[in-house]
Amino acid sequence: MLKGLKMSGQGIILWSISWLGTQISVATGLPVPGNVFGMILLFVLLLCGIIKLQYIQDAADFLLRHMLFFFIPVAVGLMNWGAVFYQYGVILLLALVVGAILPLFAVGVITQLFHKEGKQCRG
Amino acid sequence: MPGLITIFLIIITISAYLFSRFLYFKYQNPFVNIVLLSTSMVIAILVLGDIPYQAYVPGQDIMTLLLGPATVGLAVPLYRNRHLLKQYGLAICLGVGVGTVISMMTVLLITQAGGLPREVIISIIPKSSSTPFAIEIARMSGGDPALSAVFVIVTGTFVSILGLPLLTRFKITHAVARGSAMGTVAHGQGTAMALLEGGQQGSMSGVAMGLAGVFTSVLTPVMVVLLL
Repeated sequence: MLKGLKMSGQGIILWSISWLGTQISVATGLPVPGNVFGMILLFVLLLCGIIKLQYIQDAADFLLRHMLFFFIPVAVGLMNWGAVFYQYGVILLLALVVGAILPLFAVGVITQLFHKEGKQCRG
Repeated sequence: MPGLITIFLIIITISAYLFSRFLYFKYQNPFVNIVLLSTSMVIAILVLGDIPYQAYVPGQDIMTLLLGPATVGLAVPLYRNRHLLKQYGLAICLGVGVGTVISMMTVLLITQAGGLPREVIISIIPKSSSTPFAIEIARMSGGDPALSAVFVIVTGTFVSILGLPLLTRFKITHAVARGSAMGTVAHGQGTAMALLEGGQQGSMSGVAMGLAGVFTSVLTPVMVVLLL
C-alpha cells in the first residue's frame, strides 16, 4: 500500500516533467519532441540536485523495465501498411542493413581514435 | 467511459505482452522479440475477429498514456553514468554525432533512390533512435509512428545479433568504442547486448543511446526540410 503510494507520487513527478517538456516543445515551436526536452530537463534537474535520484528512481526503473509494452499499441498501426512492405520490402531491408553497418563502423572508429588520443594526453 | 471492446483489446494487448515476455525470458534469444511477437498476436486477433483498426485506437491512446513519463525516465541511466560523459565527452559526442548523421543519410538516400513514398522515408530516418523518440520524431515531421517503431525494432534486432561480431571484425576492441557504437545504432536492444559483454560497454551504450536520441530529434526536421 505504502509502496503503491510512493510509486504513484514518483510517477506524478515524472509525468509533470513530461508535461513540462511538451509545453517547452509547444512554446518554442521547435519541431523537437516534448519527451526529448523532458529527458534533458530531468537530467539537468538531477545534475543540479533539485531532484534527487531517490525521488523518482523506483517509478523510473519500473517504467523503463516495461517500456516495451508501450510500443505494442503503436506498432499495431502497422496493419495499415502491409502493401508498402510487400512492394518495397527489399529496399527497406537494404536501407536498414546498410544504414546499420556504416554508422556502427563509424562510431566505433571515431570513438576509439579519440579515446586513444585522450589517453595519450593524460599519460 | 471506454467501451467494452476497448477494455477487451487492452486486456488482449497486456496478455500478449506478458506472454511474449515470458517466452523471452524462457528462451533468452534475440529472435524472440517481445514487441514484434506481441504486435503480431494483437494484429492476428484483430484480423481474425474482423475488428477494424479504428476500434483499437481509443485503447491505444489509453495504453500509451505513460509513455511520456517512461521516456523522461531515460534521464536516470544517463545521470547514473554521467562520469562517462565527463570522462569521454569529446570522443562520445563526435562518434555519436557523426554516426547519427551517417545512419540518417544512408537510409534517406537508399529509400529515396528506391522511390519510396515520402511518408515512409520520413519514418525510416529516425530508425536508430530509441523507439519513444522515433515515434514522436516521425509524428512531428510527417511520418508514421507505427512504421517508425517497426524500423527501429528491426534495426535493433539485426544489430543486437550481428553488431558485436561485426565490431570485432572491424578491429574495434575498446569497451568505450564498442558500447557507444551499439547504443548509437541499436538503442535499447543494442544496450542490452552490450551489457551482456561488460558493464562499461553497457553503460556507454546507454549514454550513447540518449545522445543519439537528442541528435536525431534535432537533425530529422532539418533533413526533411533540406532533402525531401
